[in-house]
Amino acid sequence: MPETGVTCDNAYICPILVRPGSVVRLLVVEDDSAILDFLKRGLTESGYQVDTARDGKSAQALAADAVYDGFIIDLGLPDMDGLDLIGRCRAQGHTAPVLILSARRSVDERVRGLEQGGDDYLTKPFALAELVARLRNLLRRGPTPQQEALRLHVADLELDLVRREARRGGQLLQLTTQEFSLLEYLVRNAGRVVTRTMILDEVWHMHIDPATNVVEVQIYRLRKKVDEDGKPPLIHTIRGVGYVLREA
Amino acid sequence: MFSGKRNALRDSAAWRIAAWPAVAFAVGVALALSIMYFFIARDIRARSDAWLSGEAETLADVSAKTPRDSLYGRLVEEVAELATHEVSDPSLTGQQQNSVFFLQMQPNEQPIWVGPAPKERFIQAIQSAQLAHGTPENVHVDGWKLPFRVVYHARDSAGGIYLGFADLSGAKMLDRLAERCLLVWGITVVLGFLITWLAAYGTLSRVERISDTVSRIGSDDLSSRLPEGPYPDEISRLSKTFNKMLDRIQSSVHQLRVLTDSVAHDMKSPVTSIRGTLEVALAQTDRAQLQERVAEAIEGLDRLSEMLNTTLDLAEADAGALPLQKEPIELAGIIQPLVDLYQPAMDERGHRVTTQLQPIVVDADRSLLNRMIANLLDNEVAHLPPGCDINIAMQARGQEAGIIITDNGSGFPPELLSRAFERFVKGEHSTGHGLGLAFVQAVVTAHGGTVVLSNPTGGGAVISLSIPMALVPVEKSREGPQKPAFSLH
Repeated sequence: MPETGVTCDNAYICPILVRPGSVVRLLVVEDDSAILDFLKRGLTESGYQVDTARDGKSAQALAADAVYDGFIIDLGLPDMDGLDLIGRCRAQGHTAPVLILSARRSVDERVRGLEQGGDDYLTKPFALAELVARLRNLLRRGPTPQQEALRLHVADLELDLVRREARRGGQLLQLTTQEFSLLEYLVRNAGRVVTRTMILDEVWHMHIDPATNVVEVQIYRLRKKVDEDGKPPLIHTIRGVGYVLREA
Repeated sequence: MFSGKRNALRDSAAWRIAAWPAVAFAVGVALALSIMYFFIARDIRARSDAWLSGEAETLADVSAKTPRDSLYGRLVEEVAELATHEVSDPSLTGQQQNSVFFLQMQPNEQPIWVGPAPKERFIQAIQSAQLAHGTPENVHVDGWKLPFRVVYHARDSAGGIYLGFADLSGAKMLDRLAERCLLVWGITVVLGFLITWLAAYGTLSRVERISDTVSRIGSDDLSSRLPEGPYPDEISRLSKTFNKMLDRIQSSVHQLRVLTDSVAHDMKSPVTSIRGTLEVALAQTDRAQLQERVAEAIEGLDRLSEMLNTTLDLAEADAGALPLQKEPIELAGIIQPLVDLYQPAMDERGHRVTTQLQPIVVDADRSLLNRMIANLLDNEVAHLPPGCDINIAMQARGQEAGIIITDNGSGFPPELLSRAFERFVKGEHSTGHGLGLAFVQAVVTAHGGTVVLSNPTGGGAVISLSIPMALVPVEKSREGPQKPAFSLH
């Protein structure tokens, strides 16, 4: 469920704790040291405990001695195919979700990755925010089945998912169907930054990369209706990354 | 140059090509001539045997009927002498003249001999030959090259007459015949070889010309083409194939040059600006300013990454490797949500969008179709002056679904109209990367469709594209394999 009311200084690396009080342990396997460094830094700042490996062999050695809550595996490893590594980890008894990273972006490759034990697939280059969001989804998928809520709240914003109505401070907002879906997505991810790609994927279910500012205009219109004059703004733009819905 | 020519002659495959027909020719002609020679030789022998038998009969008759007195021997000799002169050839000389002999063996008396001396050799040879009555046979006599055909007429128990004939003139004739046959054989074989060689060399020199021309065509000069020749034969087809290959290479090289030029220009400039932005950020002390610059750099990187992705898609499409996951798709179901997505952006610019959609099912890749239509809409958003009318219509054209996007903007720049689908081609004031329409064309072509741009006379621009329809209606295909509701045939 959305952790409503969560605020943090830097939405880019806003900490997410899947099971409060417990440490989430990740194994990141990536041969490019620059990418590995920023993944480790970003994920550690997000509250994960991160182990890293630069090749398949050391990854296997690490996986043999520890229990991980999640894996992030690059497909192009120097000593073995990432898909093989996933297979071997599965064979070792690891059931934790695997997020595949790849420079190859064909649909074929994605399908193959997901068929061979991967749980999600992210192509380079990606936004750290998107990686964190997807990882969160993967980790949540496991033990805690979600209860479907009928209403969502953030500050004085209230969404009625049954009647598909939104109110701010008790006042009904005149939203189109698209605008309501967009707002619902932002509210469900309140406190977390969402990227343009994530919005297109999750709200419009389109894997497109528009060259024009269509998403920006959609957000701009929604913001005009939600954050009317005088009210504290809820929808914030994180330049270079995306958008976040949160108080203040 | 000359040695090159000579080497070309020496190394020509024409030699090998001509060699085998020449061998076959030589064997065939030799066989024919031998058969002819054999028959002629047999005829000549038959002629001499006939004379021999007839003459031997006459002589036997003479020898039998002549009274046996003291003149008997002389008389028989005389008659035999006359007979031998019948066949002597005046052109022959010396030993050759005496090529006929007559021998009469008689009991208790000296044999009568007419012929070359010494007669003992002949008598010995005849006696060891054990001849049968009446049949001419070969008898070899010491000192004579040619065997004698000898016929034997038995007269009584102890004696008989022998008439022998070495057909020297016949042999000479056969020799001459053999010589001429050999000559004819030699001439025909040489001529045959020459003709085949010339024919092969003529054909192969056309191949040589192709190889010369092709070797001259370097990466600097790809414009030369091979002469295709007047006959539609294999070599002309080879030339044609080469020319087609050269066309393809030339166009690839051209595209590669355009690509590298564009990469140099269109990718270096964003990299430069991103680098510059980050350098400025590095010097910032104000946190807000720093964040602003870094965000700007990230946006620049996003644009660069999108451009890289499209470039890779186009490269894949060029290589025929754009993976298509075709499925029956309701086209309007793709277009409408995209129009909805773009509607606010269109509104912002004062564009009015109208659609005339109809239920048409196409056989296409959903993801590529989405991106293609998004590209077309991006194109409209980016290039139209504010406040235009845009119409998106669908049409069924036979077995193809047409999508026609019409606007009343300023139209395509005329100088770009013919090249608009080439990558990195874009209008003077365009802020795009010039890959959008190239991607549209690549997707449409990969689906087996067509796309046409035009500036209608009334102003504005029209993009018209068509995609093959699905042969199986979408509802039925979901239930599993069924007979197509309609087919192309």
